[in-house]
Amino acid sequence: MNSTTLPASRFLPSVWKLLRLRMRISLNSFRHARIRAKIGILILAIAVLVFAAVCFYLSWLLLSFLRSPQLVRFTGVDPAPFLTVVPVLIFTGLFLGILLSSFGVLLQALYLSGDMDFLLTSPVPIRAVFVMKLMQAVLPNFGLFALFGLPVLYGLGISGGYNFLYYPLVILTMILLALTAAGVSALIVMLVARLFPPRRVAELLGFVGATLSILCSQFGSLTRLYQPGRDIAGNQVDALFNGLTKLNTPWLPLNWAGRGLVELGQGHWLSGILLVGLTLGLCGTIFWFTLITAERWYYTGWASMQVVARRSKPRSQARSSPAHRSDLATPFKLILPTPVRGILSKDFLVLRRDLRNLSQLVTPLIFGIIYSLVYLQAVGRSSPDSTDMPAWLISSFRSLLVYGNVGLALLVGWTLLNRLAGMSFSAEGRSYWILKASPVHTSHLLIAKFLVAYLPAFGLGGFFLVGLSILQHVSVVSFVYSLLVVLMCLAGLNGIMLAFGVAGANLSWEDPRRMNAGIKGCMGSIVAVAALPITFGLFVGPLWIAAALNLPAIYGYLAGGVLGGAVSAFCTLFPPWVVRGKVARLGEA
Amino acid sequence: MSDPSILIATTDLIKRYGENIAVNHVSFEVHAGEVFGFLGPNGAGKTTTIKILVGLLQPSSGKVMVAGYDVQTQPLQAKAASGYVPDTPNLYAKLTGRELLRFVGDLYDLKRDQLEHRLDELLRTFDLTVAANDTIDSYSHGMQQKISLAAALVHDPKVLVLDEPTVGLDPKSARLIKDILRQMADRGAAVFLSTHILEIAERMCDRIGIINKGELIAVGTMDELRSLGKTGGASLEDIFLSLTGGAEVAEIAEILK
Repeated sequence: MNSTTLPASRFLPSVWKLLRLRMRISLNSFRHARIRAKIGILILAIAVLVFAAVCFYLSWLLLSFLRSPQLVRFTGVDPAPFLTVVPVLIFTGLFLGILLSSFGVLLQALYLSGDMDFLLTSPVPIRAVFVMKLMQAVLPNFGLFALFGLPVLYGLGISGGYNFLYYPLVILTMILLALTAAGVSALIVMLVARLFPPRRVAELLGFVGATLSILCSQFGSLTRLYQPGRDIAGNQVDALFNGLTKLNTPWLPLNWAGRGLVELGQGHWLSGILLVGLTLGLCGTIFWFTLITAERWYYTGWASMQVVARRSKPRSQARSSPAHRSDLATPFKLILPTPVRGILSKDFLVLRRDLRNLSQLVTPLIFGIIYSLVYLQAVGRSSPDSTDMPAWLISSFRSLLVYGNVGLALLVGWTLLNRLAGMSFSAEGRSYWILKASPVHTSHLLIAKFLVAYLPAFGLGGFFLVGLSILQHVSVVSFVYSLLVVLMCLAGLNGIMLAFGVAGANLSWEDPRRMNAGIKGCMGSIVAVAALPITFGLFVGPLWIAAALNLPAIYGYLAGGVLGGAVSAFCTLFPPWVVRGKVARLGEA
Repeated sequence: MSDPSILIATTDLIKRYGENIAVNHVSFEVHAGEVFGFLGPNGAGKTTTIKILVGLLQPSSGKVMVAGYDVQTQPLQAKAASGYVPDTPNLYAKLTGRELLRFVGDLYDLKRDQLEHRLDELLRTFDLTVAANDTIDSYSHGMQQKISLAAALVHDPKVLVLDEPTVGLDPKSARLIKDILRQMADRGAAVFLSTHILEIAERMCDRIGIINKGELIAVGTMDELRSLGKTGGASLEDIFLSLTGGAEVAEIAEILK
């Protein structure tokens, strides 16, 4: 397909045609959705509108308050210079946010979506396909930024009494900045796609993105750990205000949009028109450049991808040959039937090889490390040796600390089970027919899936338990009992989540991150979390009661082991037994 | 089913999806050593019937026997005797070809030393030895189709069920598959295949069943079908069109020429 031979006048009608197709697909999806889903979408739309209105109202109130002369008189600080930075911050955030967040979405939309064969063989200019893909990819992120940014910018305009030109120009600037950011992002995507296989880049991106987001989300815990008791002081707020105000330099092109709009709003026509005009001109130029480059790069990159995907790699996987093969299920050769071992080997190989899966599996490890540090710090600071406390209370407190290790091991295990047990059947996806058409007994399939989730969860939970117990010099008896608690509780959680995973199995996903499509999978986690305190309490409660009644600890261990063990065994066996019939019917929608 | 030579037998098979009847009172038999072609227009119920045969779908009513076992009450025995190649080879993308075959061998509980020997043999037969250690996501459609067929043959099944097996294959691979299916039948297996390529059905199949709108409208050898369609000396295409109501389309096409 060569778009240069097509008249330029066909470009815009083609974009419109493709966008209309998208809208038609969305409309049809809505039309054919269940009533429940339709009501959900309508409620969501109303909630978004209400949220935007509330944001606008709060921004207006807050910004009016910050502009009040009384506040300046009372605090002695004039926030007006900071307020002029707000649009600069929002536009910079919008540009950088879309630039970064679009990369993965554009990679998927431009190279990995299923409609590319159809679109690239249709008599539509490639530029139009590119623009449609760009808009399709950028729209959700743009909507999110607009939802938060637009009410603040309009609130700022109304509270500052800006003139009417400010309001439409805010929207126009937002759209152009978003398209420019997406265009630059698309150029990077096309460059990367020429150098590396897009599928592998998408996997790597998923892994890095998920790991980074978990690390960032947990960063607060670590910061609090190493800077305990530090609150934000007034002078820090001042320093922050000053720092942000200094960022508002006219030399940064990203600041021109925000500065120009404020100038226009305040009636400084010359500087305002100059800055906004420069921004719009620059955006237009960059966007035009991306369109021209896309025309040259996009098709060749996409076409080369078709070749790369089919290129043979004879030596890269040589270790999978029989001579070098390490069977991951070999340790179970004597106790497990061959089909169960086969499924175990297969699942562990698939989990290990797909980076997108791996990102979900790294989460518990990060959780474990961070919360172990937090926990050890907390234990180090607390002292139960107060002479005012009764002996049984001191003993209970100590055992609470000991079983804090168990709690942490269970948290790590539960996080891992969420992915492995909750999605054990969904993970099969469209390949489930292989298992279903083969002579594998349902119970064997359930055992295999149980072990695929349980072994890593118990391994990781046990690892943290051993580490923390050694660091805390826990007695051998307490450690053995703790290990039993983790072993049994995780088995119970696994049974519950596995059963809900069967009930809500989704075998039609394309992206592993979207395996858990149904509400039943989430329900599994919730029910498991609700069951955990009960089983944990049944294991640990009798120990405290025995200590409170001055009975020998062995009674507590025995009672706890029997009660907690019985409930855990019930949770392990009963839920999978209930859904065994459903396993045989999976994939028969 | 008393006759041991009957390896596939369906009796009054019905599959309903709500109000829709996808398969309606379908009954047929496939004997050992026979290649049975299953033809029908799009949406006629071919894939649904095949999925019921291999135990991927439960029939609404009726009975399916495979290798003497009832697929509903003795599913494990029936599945152990059969191999299945779907129309779309959805395979584990992150396994290598060899690992996939080994996995399937484990599912059929094959002994490891026999299995490795069998894998080498199949990989060589399907010209996949070089790509055997590449992950399946790097395979072309044809290679995936071939590895899918190899997986169905790992346990040397008595009954082989194939849904459009030659789609996406180059002429050499298509020929190879035809030869393999013929050899299997000659060794006493029953081969059940659906296809849209009438030439394949005409040349390869001993008997042919034609399904239309969920109902099996004709079963027999080519000669029997000719007499049924009252189209003496006609090709399978003519018989197919006359039986499925597509003859008028052929007439229009002829006028347009």
